[in-house]
Amino acid sequence: MSSSAKEVENLIAQEYTQGFVTDIEVETFPPGLDEEVIAKLSKIKNEPEFMLEYRLKAFRHWQTMKDPDWAQLNIEPIDYQAISYYSAPKKDSDKPQSLDEVDPELLDTYKKLGIPLDEQERLAGVAVDAVFDSVSVATTFKGKLKDAGVIFCPISEALQEYPELVKQYLGTVVPEGDNFFAALNAAVFTDGSFVYIPKGVRCPMELSTYFRINAANTGQFERTLIIADEDSHVSYLEGCTAPMRDENQLHAAVVELVAMKNAEIKYSTVQNWYPGDENGVGGIYNFVTKRAECRGDNAKVSWTQVETGSAITWKYPSCVLLGDNSVGEFYSVALTNNYQQADTGTKMIHIGKNTKSTIISKGISAGKAQNTYRGLVKVGKGAENARNYTQCDSLLVGDRCGAHTFPYVEVKTPSAQVEHEATTSKISEDQLFFCQQRGLSAEDAVSMIVNGFCKEVFKELPMEFAVEAQALLGISLEGSVG
Amino acid sequence: MTSRYIAEYEKTADLLPGQSLAWLKTLRAEAFNCFSDQGFPSLREEEWRYTNVSAIEKKLFAPSLDLSEAVFDQALLTENQLEGALTIVLINGRFSKQHSSLEGLDKDILVLSMADALEQKPELLERYLSKAVSNEEHSFVAFNTAWFSDGLFVHIPAKKVVDQPIQLLHVVTETECLASTRNVLIAEEMAEVNVIETFVGVDDNYLTASVTEVFVEKNASLSLYKVQSEGEKAYHFGGTYVKQARDSRFNHHNFAFGGLLARNDVHTDLDIASECDLNGLYLGNKRQHIDNHTRINHLKPHAISNELYKGVLNQRARGVFQGMVYVAEDAQKTDSAMNNRNLLLSNDAEADTKPQLEIYADDVKCAHGVTVGQLDEKSIFYLQARCIDEETARNMLTFAFANEMVDKVKLKVLKVILLKNLLQVFPQSGIDSEWL
Repeated sequence: MSSSAKEVENLIAQEYTQGFVTDIEVETFPPGLDEEVIAKLSKIKNEPEFMLEYRLKAFRHWQTMKDPDWAQLNIEPIDYQAISYYSAPKKDSDKPQSLDEVDPELLDTYKKLGIPLDEQERLAGVAVDAVFDSVSVATTFKGKLKDAGVIFCPISEALQEYPELVKQYLGTVVPEGDNFFAALNAAVFTDGSFVYIPKGVRCPMELSTYFRINAANTGQFERTLIIADEDSHVSYLEGCTAPMRDENQLHAAVVELVAMKNAEIKYSTVQNWYPGDENGVGGIYNFVTKRAECRGDNAKVSWTQVETGSAITWKYPSCVLLGDNSVGEFYSVALTNNYQQADTGTKMIHIGKNTKSTIISKGISAGKAQNTYRGLVKVGKGAENARNYTQCDSLLVGDRCGAHTFPYVEVKTPSAQVEHEATTSKISEDQLFFCQQRGLSAEDAVSMIVNGFCKEVFKELPMEFAVEAQALLGISLEGSVG
Repeated sequence: MTSRYIAEYEKTADLLPGQSLAWLKTLRAEAFNCFSDQGFPSLREEEWRYTNVSAIEKKLFAPSLDLSEAVFDQALLTENQLEGALTIVLINGRFSKQHSSLEGLDKDILVLSMADALEQKPELLERYLSKAVSNEEHSFVAFNTAWFSDGLFVHIPAKKVVDQPIQLLHVVTETECLASTRNVLIAEEMAEVNVIETFVGVDDNYLTASVTEVFVEKNASLSLYKVQSEGEKAYHFGGTYVKQARDSRFNHHNFAFGGLLARNDVHTDLDIASECDLNGLYLGNKRQHIDNHTRINHLKPHAISNELYKGVLNQRARGVFQGMVYVAEDAQKTDSAMNNRNLLLSNDAEADTKPQLEIYADDVKCAHGVTVGQLDEKSIFYLQARCIDEETARNMLTFAFANEMVDKVKLKVLKVILLKNLLQVFPQSGIDSEWL
């Protein structure tokens, strides 16, 4: 293990304070959304003028749009006026004071994942004990990035300190009117991450939302902007394997990645939000717009995602391959159980010459869940010698679930080569029998076979994630056998 | 825009066959309302996102009112009529007795024009017409139901194996003509039959809208061949809707060569342990737009479906393939494979393809694959190294790619016609259709 990876490990093992530095004391906004609410939000965040204009433009566009209904999802109508669009950061006194006050079911899952006790406290949102002083850790961490010239901070902070940089890139990959949820996000996003890797810099450590100081409570509308300038490299981890409780039912995040010439961005996500109970009650609605632009030649963007949570997942991390020889990759595992619904996939837009893309998608559907792969591979006129390989496999566990595949392939260049393959099958009785004969329980056998099915994707995950992701699949599949 | 079509309908409605039948009159009225409500499909509809039919809307194609014998190049008939087949010829959407040949027709089986069938067997048609497809399917079906002027009606009684192929030869000879035809094919229990639909026409603007309903009863077997060689400026909509009973077999071979804008739909509903094979070949040239839609509904367990569509797209042609395999909750042990292969031969050609799976049962084997690419440079080099010039080499390889679909055709007489068609598009000096 490299020294930086060890440091990361150490960081995981430690606790840190979620010290919010904002002094403004604001009550939670009353439910509802209009221009006044947005102006107030922008004012609280003390944003530069251009941001307010940007938000209002997005909001006005959003008002003319309709909820998308093309996905293979069954969504209860959402009342956008019944949601509060800003709430003040929680004070320590409002949080559970110890783990005893936390839902035992949640603690049980933490135990199975092997999460250390103090980490459990952080995840469950327990008021932080001042004994652990993480400030020093954070400082070394920040210092190291600063030495490398990397900017990694909450986007609200970036708007204060580097407004020009944010203005230059924000909304250039996902325009404010891109789609219904992106427009909503642009109008009301509260916080998120901002990353800038300067020319020729290889980011010294894997960046993770885990360690983002002062922005743990980003709320339901998260905005992430990552810029990798020429010849740079960054690996970014989002989310975590431990289940996150969240009182917000609707999540609409936007992630924008910009990769300049020869730059490489690796973006890994593990999403494990509350999926609702066995009867499909509750659970998070997750509507995410993720898009990357390879603006320069030889740029590379790689998306890896493990989606096991949320009642509804609507998410299509995409790559626009503008630069010649640029590369887009998408590796995905989407697991749905009980009444979960996922409609996820990717878009690969080939514009530059010799662009390459790979799509590996593994969908697992159990219980009464519906799992859909929806992808677009588009090869434009000038994209000579473009190459795409797509493989999407579905695994069905149980006879009441559904697995669907909707790939779109549009090719306008004769020298392009596009391949798409998909299979759907169930876990074979022979494999199960083989494992059980060797003393594995049915549940362990299923978990093992499913992990084998997903291996191609897991090997793309950073090491810290990969191990946990495997355990996570096992837990998410609980109750689907027998 | 559809208002012109609506006005035209009111003018010609009385001339349509079967207007004396109350049930048909109601059916047509419903279809007409359906069409006037919806209009022609727009690009916003998922099933039509790659195919723009506004050109049909802007023009006004009207049914031919001239009932006298049309004057046209007889080669259209002689070149396409199958030897030894029972042939029903429709000219501009109306039955032409003079050109049809029903020699040697077994008295048990019924091969009639739709207009005659409506007179002679109205009770049979009431039972089957519009039962394999509803007007809500899309507005072209409604359009067809409202306007159809004639068609082919085939009824094969139980346990009858028909050796003679039955051909529907659909000829359009008039400019701006609308030829809207409706065909009903019924194969009763354990019957077997081959039916060929051939679409040809003059080199001018016209619209063919043809809907074929197929009923394959228990353990019966029906092979349907469609050869669409419409004129270069023609618009073509063709729909084939199939209901398969248990243990039945349905083979479809779809050859789309002609038309400026051609759309073809094939839908089949599979019952227990039934089988279907859908084969397709589309060759696009110039500014042609060829759209193929298929939908296989696995509604019951143990059914098998196989699908292979191949496309060769040259010049500014655009090929579309949208295939759907639907597996219902109870359709366990389904075995399904869908494949679409496209060759793009020029810089301006385009292939759009969307193979879809919608699966609600777990014990199934479903696979689909798509490729879009060009000829293998190494194979071309191999041939060139053997003294074959590049153009011929390319033609040979493309021919081989397309020929796979022709090879699946079991009817010798039809195969020869298809090969002639292929060799015309991909000429290879030294190869003569006589040899094949």
